[in-house]
Amino acid sequence: MWTLFFLIFLSIVLGVGAWLFFLWSVKSGQYDDVEGPKYRMLDDDDEKK
Amino acid sequence: MATFQCAHCLLTFPEREAVYDEIDGNKKVFCCNGCSGIYRLIHEEELDDFYEKRRWDDAGIPAALFKKELAIKPFTEFIRDNDSRKEIDVYIEGIRCASCVWLNERILNSTEGVEYARVNYATHKAKIRWDPGAIGLEGILKRILSIGYVPKPYSESEQFKIQKAETRDLLIRFGTAGFLSSQLMIYSIALYAGYFQGIDENTKLLLEIIAMLLTIPVVFYSGMPFIRNTLRGLRHLNFNMDSLITLGASSAFIYSIYQIFTGGKVYFDTSAMIITLILLGRYIEATAKGKASQTIEMLTELTPKEAEVVVSSQSTTHGQSVASGDSTRRAVSSQEVKSVPISSVQKGNLIRVRPGERIPLDGIVIEGESEVDESIITGESRPVLKTSVSEVIGGSMNLYGTFIFKVTKTAKETVLSSIIKAVEDAQARKPKIQILADRVVGIFVPVILIIALSTVIFYLLKGSSSHFALMTGISVLVIACPCSLGLATPLAVLIFTTMASTKGILIRGGEVIENISKLTYVIFDKTGTITVGKPVLKEVILMDPDLNKEHMLTIAASIESLSEHSIGHAITEAAKGLNLSHVSGFKVIPGRGIEGVIDNKRVVIGNRSFMYENGMTVAPLQSLDHIVQQFENNGDTVVYMVWDKAVKAIFVISDIVRAEASEVIDSLKKENLEVSLISGDNKATTNSIASPVGIEDVISEASPIMKKDIIHALQQKGKKVMMVGDGINDAPSLTEASLGVAMGRGTDIAMESADAVLVRNDLRLIPYLVRISRKTYAIIKQNVFWAFFYNIVAIPLAVAGVLHPIIAAGAMAASSLIVVINSLRITRIGQR
Repeated sequence: MWTLFFLIFLSIVLGVGAWLFFLWSVKSGQYDDVEGPKYRMLDDDDEKK
Repeated sequence: MATFQCAHCLLTFPEREAVYDEIDGNKKVFCCNGCSGIYRLIHEEELDDFYEKRRWDDAGIPAALFKKELAIKPFTEFIRDNDSRKEIDVYIEGIRCASCVWLNERILNSTEGVEYARVNYATHKAKIRWDPGAIGLEGILKRILSIGYVPKPYSESEQFKIQKAETRDLLIRFGTAGFLSSQLMIYSIALYAGYFQGIDENTKLLLEIIAMLLTIPVVFYSGMPFIRNTLRGLRHLNFNMDSLITLGASSAFIYSIYQIFTGGKVYFDTSAMIITLILLGRYIEATAKGKASQTIEMLTELTPKEAEVVVSSQSTTHGQSVASGDSTRRAVSSQEVKSVPISSVQKGNLIRVRPGERIPLDGIVIEGESEVDESIITGESRPVLKTSVSEVIGGSMNLYGTFIFKVTKTAKETVLSSIIKAVEDAQARKPKIQILADRVVGIFVPVILIIALSTVIFYLLKGSSSHFALMTGISVLVIACPCSLGLATPLAVLIFTTMASTKGILIRGGEVIENISKLTYVIFDKTGTITVGKPVLKEVILMDPDLNKEHMLTIAASIESLSEHSIGHAITEAAKGLNLSHVSGFKVIPGRGIEGVIDNKRVVIGNRSFMYENGMTVAPLQSLDHIVQQFENNGDTVVYMVWDKAVKAIFVISDIVRAEASEVIDSLKKENLEVSLISGDNKATTNSIASPVGIEDVISEASPIMKKDIIHALQQKGKKVMMVGDGINDAPSLTEASLGVAMGRGTDIAMESADAVLVRNDLRLIPYLVRISRKTYAIIKQNVFWAFFYNIVAIPLAVAGVLHPIIAAGAMAASSLIVVINSLRITRIGQR
């Protein structure tokens, strides 16, 4: 029985963690520019330092 | 003798205007000093990669080329403090491709004092954070200006802000519901296993209580918008999708809570999944709408808010205005002016416009001269020369010189404002498209309520316990709500828009599909839509049998290559590949023609009156009438080439019809659509374009507002009209039509007003769009059917009182799966 409680507790903790991460990502604007990354990915290669 | 292409802006221009520059040993040619300066700067910053990366199909003068000053004041109110740093969002005008974004970010990030700069690819909005101790905002904005882009203060409209906040809110609600539902599924599966294998009562209670706790936020937080809308609709006995969702989710929730205490079966998963899936559908819809029309905003953005009114008008004496060009120019720029709000400018006021400024109102040039970019209004991409008595249009861009013009229309009467008003009106009137699913739901909800009620009454009459009767009735409501209904439309629309965009059609909003499937009438604009939109040399007629066509073309092109007139362009274009000869004594006589000396012959090319002025007599020209007349009747332009007092050749220049036009019109007719052509030109010209491509119905001499009214009248008669156009003058009609389609090379305004944009200027996309929309609409109908199907089949089980949570879950899964797979079929149809 304790295993069950422990696993339930664990799954809720993980779920809440993922949920908080999701909230953070929406609020910090991670979804605001979904077009950009595909171009940026290509640009980074020719960076001259 | 040739034309050159600018190394920076890709504009082609005649040799005599070329600006040469040597950059690190490489000779480069530019159209002007502005471009050369920008090129040099980009090179110095080691950002030459820009020229390799960029994908520009068209030439384009850098937005900032003629703007040397930047008013910092409008920006200051948008500066935010971020600890010891400052932050601002600015809109960058002139961004045309991904490399422009890259260039701007690089230039900003290499600026000292700038800590962070990032440009949004979709909105062209830059977020900049800087150290106020190291650099001022002005310095940063000047950097953007120096590479040819114009920073603008960025303020989102209230409507756009609300829309953005709503989408974000929806995402959070959906995300939350999604995480909770996935957690909930774990406990539901455990409970399902318990139905088959048996489960310890206490464990079952524990799992049920956890399931309930997980469902509460889904229903009362994520599902709140549905509940709120339902309560609002309830007052008018108005049943929509939201009421069905609320009904299904809340009855499942309440039923389940009751069952926890009586030891029955719980439906928490049904309750949560309904809300989650519907929210997913809503989110897909909202993001698709994200780029929704901002036409009016863009239009008003075009009009300057202030105008520089000349205070002392006595300085514009006649003595000065007929003085030599140089002193006029000085007089123009030294005049005393006062900035006043545009609304207080009166008719007859004199307004000064400097290079790089937008012309605030319509009027007539009094003093000074300049070239003006009117592309935003007329679609003509080449600058237009404006001298004394030329008319200028408010909203167009002044490029090179300073001039003063007399206002002929106040802010409320300008061409631009009448277009804005027409677009506003049409948008306000455009009926909201009721989604198919909504109509079905409107009937479905009352029917379900009646079935549930009859079930309760039936069991009560039969003598069952009131508790059993009530629970069975509620179970009808639990199973009736088809959760894949929310996905049925948005998913198909999403796949449809993706398919269309890979073919080169941009779709704004899912209403397009329903509108096209009911389409009965297609109206094409003439210039730039059915025709290519620029003059092309159609025929060379020789007047002297000893001459040959190629030779004539060479001579004409040699002279015309020095001219910037669109007719000259057509002739030069036709002579591509021929060896042009040297021309001396080149002269342009505006509105008449051009002349030059080749092989000691003085060659004159121009219209008829120019011929008279050059000593031709009336008789030989009149003898040509029978040839010329037929072309002029067709709306073609005819120019004569003359030397030694004899007409040597006649050039016929006209706007040619797109090669694919007749094929397209043919296939549209096969789709049972009526097709007509509309144009501002006269009847003869319009007819000469319409009949060869197979259009019988022609509307000529129509102004932009008339075009709109014609469409309105047709729609009043019950026709569903598609309008295909390209210019800003088509904007009102594109908005008015049930479906506006803009050509991709058209003006931004036209594209913003349209429901669909053809990225490739290929008319064949239109029949394709019609076909794929009709197929998609059929699939949406099937989806709606399948979404209901499983739930309706399960209703008798609920009525019989033998409903089981697994049946509810199974119906949900089966219908969702069918909806998804059926929607994917659009991909297959779309590829054909």
